[in-house]
Amino acid sequence: MVHMDAFQTLADPTRRQIVETLRAGEQQVNGIVEALDIHQSGVSRHLRLLLESGFVQVRPEGQMRLYSLRPEPFRELEAWVASYQQVWDARLTRFGAALEKRRARKKSAGPPAEKEDDSDE
Amino acid sequence: MTSKPTVRVERKYEGPVDDLWWLWTTKEGFESWWGPEGFRVQVNKLDLRVGGGLDYDMIATDPQQIAWMKQNNMPISHGTHGKFVEIVPMKRLGLSHMIDFIPGVEPYENTMVVEFVPEGKMVKMVVTVEEHSTPEWTQRAIAGFESQLTKVPGILAKRRGTH
Repeated sequence: MVHMDAFQTLADPTRRQIVETLRAGEQQVNGIVEALDIHQSGVSRHLRLLLESGFVQVRPEGQMRLYSLRPEPFRELEAWVASYQQVWDARLTRFGAALEKRRARKKSAGPPAEKEDDSDE
Repeated sequence: MTSKPTVRVERKYEGPVDDLWWLWTTKEGFESWWGPEGFRVQVNKLDLRVGGGLDYDMIATDPQQIAWMKQNNMPISHGTHGKFVEIVPMKRLGLSHMIDFIPGVEPYENTMVVEFVPEGKMVKMVVTVEEHSTPEWTQRAIAGFESQLTKVPGILAKRRGTH
């Protein structure tokens, strides 16, 4: 019943390597094992975790089982980062406004003799 | 370290850098911009030295925000505790926050680093925020919390329009 979130899933270097390998397209376990150069049992274990956390899907084709990436968790990661970006974007905009205000006030309070600039609110 | 999610934002402002530094490192400066949207802050302690505290109340001001917080059993004012972890005057500032305001989530520390890079008459300000603890529910809670905060359109415009 261990459920990992996207960050925990990708925290493992082997799983990141598997994800990297699958970016090129569908692969069988053997293909992944070859690309990673680690034991098949290790790859299988990580693949199972990737399946459980929704990063990877598998489909049968004849005798083969083909693994590929699912886009959903990547969108989730992107949305998470974007939510931070938005908060910070707004924050940095307020920072800019506060900076202008401070400068305007310093100027009107009689600044030390300084080169004048024409920044205006 | 590298596997921890970080968020990096940057923006250029007109120099010189001392006013930017002032906005981060003084009570008056910090209160004039630190958010998030729909909140004001009141600084109770600002001790600008490594290990020195930055304590402030985060007070919800937007009616929608207040309603949302009440609905989620969050107090509309929250005492926030931070400390300065790195100080290189006019160049670099490290600030860590105790994140202890998410219901049902164990408190954890969150560190951000601010760098000020002069570029001609401009100063590039780069903020890198790092997560220290990333259990699934913390991520989700923050994502939900933060996106709620940004779902209050018009506050910024409203605020700007009033001065």
